[in-house]
Amino acid sequence: MRRAAPVLVVLLGLIALWYAASVWMNATWVYDQAARAGESPTLMEVIPQTMAQERPLLPPPHQVASRLWEGLAGQAITSKRSLVYHGFVTFRGTMAGFALGIVLGVGLAMAIVRFRVMDMSVMPWAIISQTVPIVAIAPMILVVSNQLGIQGREVPKAIIASYLSFFPVLVSMVKGLRAPDQMQLDLLKTWGASEGQTFRKLRLPASMPYFFASLKVAVAAALVGTIVGELPTGAVEGLGARMLLGSQYGEPLITWAALFASAILAGILILAVGLVERLANRRMGVRA
Amino acid sequence: MKKLLTAGLLALMAGSAGAEDVTLQLKWVTQAQFAGYYVAKDKGFYEEEGLNVTIKPGGPDIAPEQVIASGQADVITTWMPAALAARERGVPLVNIAQPFKNGGLEFTCLKETGVESPADFPGKTLGVWFFGNEYPFYAWMAKLGLATDGSEGGVTVLKQAFNVDALLQKQAACISVMTYNEYGQVLDAGITPDQLVTFNYRDEGVVVLEDGLYVMEDRLADPAFAETMVKFVRASMKGWKYAEANPDEAAQIVIDNDESGAQSLAHQQYMMSEVAKLTAGGNGALDPADFDATVASLLAAVSPENPAITKAPEGKAWTHEITDKALAE
Amino acid sequence: MVLALALAFWAAAWALNARVAAFGRTRAGRIFVPVLFGITLLVLWEGLVRGLGVSAVILPTPSAIAAKFAASTGLLWADFVQTVLKGALSGFVIGTAAAFATAILADRVPFLREGLLPVGNFVAALPIVGMAPILVMWFGFGWQSKAAVVVAMVFFPMLINVVAGLAASDRMQRDLMATWGASYWQALWKLRLPAAMPFVFNGLKIAASLALIGAIVAEYFGSPVVGMGFRISTAVGVLNIELVWAEIAVAALAGSAFYGLIALAEKAVTFWHPSQRN
Repeated sequence: MRRAAPVLVVLLGLIALWYAASVWMNATWVYDQAARAGESPTLMEVIPQTMAQERPLLPPPHQVASRLWEGLAGQAITSKRSLVYHGFVTFRGTMAGFALGIVLGVGLAMAIVRFRVMDMSVMPWAIISQTVPIVAIAPMILVVSNQLGIQGREVPKAIIASYLSFFPVLVSMVKGLRAPDQMQLDLLKTWGASEGQTFRKLRLPASMPYFFASLKVAVAAALVGTIVGELPTGAVEGLGARMLLGSQYGEPLITWAALFASAILAGILILAVGLVERLANRRMGVRA
Repeated sequence: MKKLLTAGLLALMAGSAGAEDVTLQLKWVTQAQFAGYYVAKDKGFYEEEGLNVTIKPGGPDIAPEQVIASGQADVITTWMPAALAARERGVPLVNIAQPFKNGGLEFTCLKETGVESPADFPGKTLGVWFFGNEYPFYAWMAKLGLATDGSEGGVTVLKQAFNVDALLQKQAACISVMTYNEYGQVLDAGITPDQLVTFNYRDEGVVVLEDGLYVMEDRLADPAFAETMVKFVRASMKGWKYAEANPDEAAQIVIDNDESGAQSLAHQQYMMSEVAKLTAGGNGALDPADFDATVASLLAAVSPENPAITKAPEGKAWTHEITDKALAE
Repeated sequence: MVLALALAFWAAAWALNARVAAFGRTRAGRIFVPVLFGITLLVLWEGLVRGLGVSAVILPTPSAIAAKFAASTGLLWADFVQTVLKGALSGFVIGTAAAFATAILADRVPFLREGLLPVGNFVAALPIVGMAPILVMWFGFGWQSKAAVVVAMVFFPMLINVVAGLAASDRMQRDLMATWGASYWQALWKLRLPAAMPFVFNGLKIAASLALIGAIVAEYFGSPVVGMGFRISTAVGVLNIELVWAEIAVAALAGSAFYGLIALAEKAVTFWHPSQRN
């Protein structure tokens, strides 16, 4: 409880700031409309009007909350208007990208640790790949994968998500697989362990804490990648698409609700991965 | 859900009965702008012709010309300038039908910014859509003799998003709107028509054909494909005429097909009533005079920055073959 | 046939690379191996696109992209200035500086730190990029809104890194400073900031790649008629795909240079840290 108090205070402060900002920002429109109608409202008349606009510049928290609640609980979850449905579409994309990213990251890391040529040729490009803005390539990935005969957006979306999520896994796994020191390696050699045995009995277990630590970063990256994959690539489903469509249809509340739904999704994903990490560490006897 | 299931089952049965598959790529998201196709699908007009039609919605980053070039669609809807531009760049598109007799692209300005006529444009900031939709604007500016590169006496061009915020927040004096979509959004936001000054491109002497149906030239040479397209156009036009006659039902069909779930019925009803005005004048056959006028408008504004086309299109960029047969009976 | 040729070429280049790599880690080898790898990929791309007859409106060849690049340097430079120098860089500076100041403030006020850190940790994992359409609506269509998106994206990742960095010096070192009678600012300047530098640079590196993404995405939602995001999002519509790829090349070069500069600065500042000693 003592740890929760400061967080609550900060959150309350943010909400208060948000209310103040929404009065300030939405007031312009009220004044403009009043001027067009030839009226001059007082501040007390303006404030309630800033709280319930249909297309507010900054919707006040309760407006977003009610829209979010309506999207989450006010619809059948199979409905196209349900945020649970769209959240699930994004979740599916995130998981596909996350899995692909893990496979790619672990696979590359194993090859890099084993073969020097992989280390020298692939590692620099892996770093460069992360400096290329993914948004620039996202539409191109879509077109090229369409050309290769891949239907739909699921696969390209997963590729975009894995493009972001493989990197933290790769870096941590390379570090982890190289974590055993020379003495431990020498010991296994004196026991006549084969390369495969060294890998299974020493390198792999040693890398596990690094692996699980990287998952939290990777899952957040996969979510960002999925949303980016949905945002400018003309997707019609998923939270990213809702953010874009809300802006297109001039309904900012749709965008805000989707933003907060994605925050909830991010929270759930990070909690879940953290839980897996703790369970795995406990089973493997790592002290947290 | 039940309706969806039966539709799915019917589609399956039609599929097994050797129906011809047709994939249509739309220019934009699912909305009443494409009501005719959705109506034809949901009312079974395609099925009656023995067609199994898949409608792919578009979006901000989807160029239908690119989709058809990659073989992911059999037929696309797009605006003529974009189609002609693609043709010049080696994607030989042919117009087989033109459901939109008139264009819905307009330019609307807030009166309070001091714009009464095109003579007031110099020094103002104007919002334009890009992605192949900018050609009419540049053609118009060329006609008015206004510079668009930000130089003295010219206009400042903004790439507006696909919404009307730029106007509402006075970041631009004028913005591009479609009569059937964004203009309604401006009104919905609480601005009244008498606070606006609106320019229609056709009235300003810039003729640009909007949503038409286009296919690849090489495939059209195949009689079997041409026959499929005849059926497709016939059913689509039937869909359009049905949508014109029953706008509210058409709007509901569009809503049923909207996968994003973000469209509102009221707005789609508005859109349908406005779109009906654009399709009403025509039967789907392209008017060659409109084609020539579109080419003339585009050629009047050839600039190195934004060339739609640099010369008159070669070969046959349109054909009456399909509509002649489709509309015969 | 084309595929077989491509495979053969790949195998040959890979064998050469393996040979060179086996010859030990000379400086020349370190540069040669990745460069050859990159060239191999480009040659394969060129060969496959040509060999399989892929349309230029789907995927252009690297040579066509290079030609486009050379022919439109003026345009690309203007876009670079608009997006990278005005949008990304200003947002990067404002965002990281603000995060730094907030971190110091949070360090001085423990209550704030305890409240802000969990919130910051959470927000740093959010897809802030979704805020782009909203921020463009708020700050207009110029580069200012792009900078605002960048600020929003880099602030929290930077904040949590600096806060973690400020906690990096150990108890004994801090006690030592206290016994010497060092003031808060002296201890900060002499001990805790230097100790925080590896974390700070980690944050800067993350912020650098986020900054470019933010500045480019924001241009999708409205912009003047210049900028990399503007060009990428509109050139596809007029099937000028070579130009899109040329812009991607610029983005990749800018991103790598940005990252490289930060890495160089890190090397100079944190030469004492174990990770920099090989």
